[in-house]
Amino acid sequence: MERFVVITKEDFTVLLERLLGAYQVIAPVEREGRIFLSYVSDPAEVNMEYKGTTLLPPKRFFFPEVEVLFTYRVTGGRVELYDKLEEVRGAKRALLGVRPCDIKSLEILDKVLIGEYKDPYYAARRDGTLIVGLTCNEPDEYCFCAFTGSGPQASGGFDLLMTDLGDRYLVEIGSDKGERVVNLNLDLFKPASKDEVNEREEMLKRVEAEIRRQELPDLTKVYEAFAKNFDAELWLEYGRRCLACGKCNYVCPTCRCFDVYDEPSLDGSSGKRVRVWDSCHFLSFTRVAGGKVFRSERPSRVKQRIYHKYCYGVDEIGEIECVGCGRCIKVCPAGIDIREAAKRVVEL
Amino acid sequence: MRGNPYLPALAKIVKTRRETPDTATFRLEIEGSGGLEFTPGQFIEVSAFGYGEAPFSISSSPLERSYVEVTVRRVGNVTRALFNMGEGGVVGVRGPFGRGWPIEEMKGQNLLMIGGGIGIAPLRPLIEYVIAHRNSFGDVILLYGARTPKDIVYKEELERWREHIDVRLTVDVGDETWRGRTGVVTVLLDDVEVDPRETYSVQCGPPIMIYFVTRRLVEMGFTDDRILFSLERLMKCGMGFCGHCMIGGKYVCRDGPVFKYSEVKGLLEPALVR
Repeated sequence: MERFVVITKEDFTVLLERLLGAYQVIAPVEREGRIFLSYVSDPAEVNMEYKGTTLLPPKRFFFPEVEVLFTYRVTGGRVELYDKLEEVRGAKRALLGVRPCDIKSLEILDKVLIGEYKDPYYAARRDGTLIVGLTCNEPDEYCFCAFTGSGPQASGGFDLLMTDLGDRYLVEIGSDKGERVVNLNLDLFKPASKDEVNEREEMLKRVEAEIRRQELPDLTKVYEAFAKNFDAELWLEYGRRCLACGKCNYVCPTCRCFDVYDEPSLDGSSGKRVRVWDSCHFLSFTRVAGGKVFRSERPSRVKQRIYHKYCYGVDEIGEIECVGCGRCIKVCPAGIDIREAAKRVVEL
Repeated sequence: MRGNPYLPALAKIVKTRRETPDTATFRLEIEGSGGLEFTPGQFIEVSAFGYGEAPFSISSSPLERSYVEVTVRRVGNVTRALFNMGEGGVVGVRGPFGRGWPIEEMKGQNLLMIGGGIGIAPLRPLIEYVIAHRNSFGDVILLYGARTPKDIVYKEELERWREHIDVRLTVDVGDETWRGRTGVVTVLLDDVEVDPRETYSVQCGPPIMIYFVTRRLVEMGFTDDRILFSLERLMKCGMGFCGHCMIGGKYVCRDGPVFKYSEVKGLLEPALVR
């Protein structure tokens, strides 16, 4: 099998219809002028022409913002538990139109959540989901993936990776799973020519050059600079500006901290154990029994997220955990720009 | 490991023992299993269904396999629920999690144990182990500090332990019955004579205690790899996922809760805080 095939945009609509028959399809859709990843039922809903990133990253389709881990019932001094994992298993899904930065974020989450311990809810959803990526033709002003080693090219982590070449898509096959999809739809694909493959390379080079117009250090190698400046003045400044709202955590494709609590029914006879996304910017995040809070000062909480991205990630999984998507910059009400922070740290 | 590590095993509270006005030890028997195998210093997550889950150090002897005990201070929703349930109550148990005391490494050495308040809980399984293998260890000293005489836990055990190891107590504030030392636990260190080259120091207590005791141990000549402590952080999952217990690039729940000072000294975020 060739590594590269092409499909016309007309035929892609046919492919979408077929995928909708075989998978639950998640794809970019436009709502009120913004792009979301969403379950779709009609090819007409899908927007594969969007610029930059989706408003929210794909993590919620693997690690939802609210997840019931199990339910319980208490009857006459007995407790019965009902595992919700079974409901997660077995779903066959296709995630379409996901950017290389976000593909990288899933690879990072894999390393964290499927390691010595395995998060079974996340792992089951990952197992059942086909990843069909889409490279950027036009980054937005927040994109900096070229500096985090996570774009605009994707080096892995996808089953298929599409590039928009105008009237057709060049498709790179990244796995056996992806190859099977192509094989099952051979009437829609044809082998790519050398020119088409080159066209993609040119396109990605152009996108990379555009992203590199901003001057940033190589963010995969800022560990030492950050380590040296843990107590630097600038963190006090960021601490003063940060509103501790947690938006950066929610839109970050690799932030996965969570809280766990019980939601009982009114009479207490049953209930559910729920996990929800949490934020290291919240005061409650490090509060232990008895009331002590380990990160009571805001600078320490601002630092927790940024250091987790550029240093602790390296300690934890051997690479930085920022993919340069720029979403945290886009949503920060205080205008905190993680790129600028990293650049300032390197220049200290 | 069970199929789903978030799903607790069910356990019955078979015995409770009031330690202090706000602290009790709960004995848990896990349903349908041969108990729990653990290393002293490891912890479990205990569920009170409807109230949530909280981490507790296992405080019972590792030689006793048919049950586990946790010593609990009534300070939050889960702990209040445990107190209200009492004997016969059904709870959930996940674990054991984390890394306990490095017992094999400590064999043949003296032990200087320092416990503060309810922080003595994770030392209890270690002490029971040491007493059961008394010849495998050199001199063993336990320094224990509580707020007041009423706050001293494990009163029965302390008497029994005295027959095998050197137990020294202090309270922050004495009362009319108290004839012993007063002052924070570091005052007991003033009288300790051990060779730091042949001794492991082992501590658990509130952060401020660990902060000052560690400083003192360094002054006494203990090297960083002979200063061990169990750190307290919020631990929701026990598996290094939920992020609450992170210090620098380490997760207290998975990489600890027992650490050597040498393992956390170089972390970017200070592990020992006042």
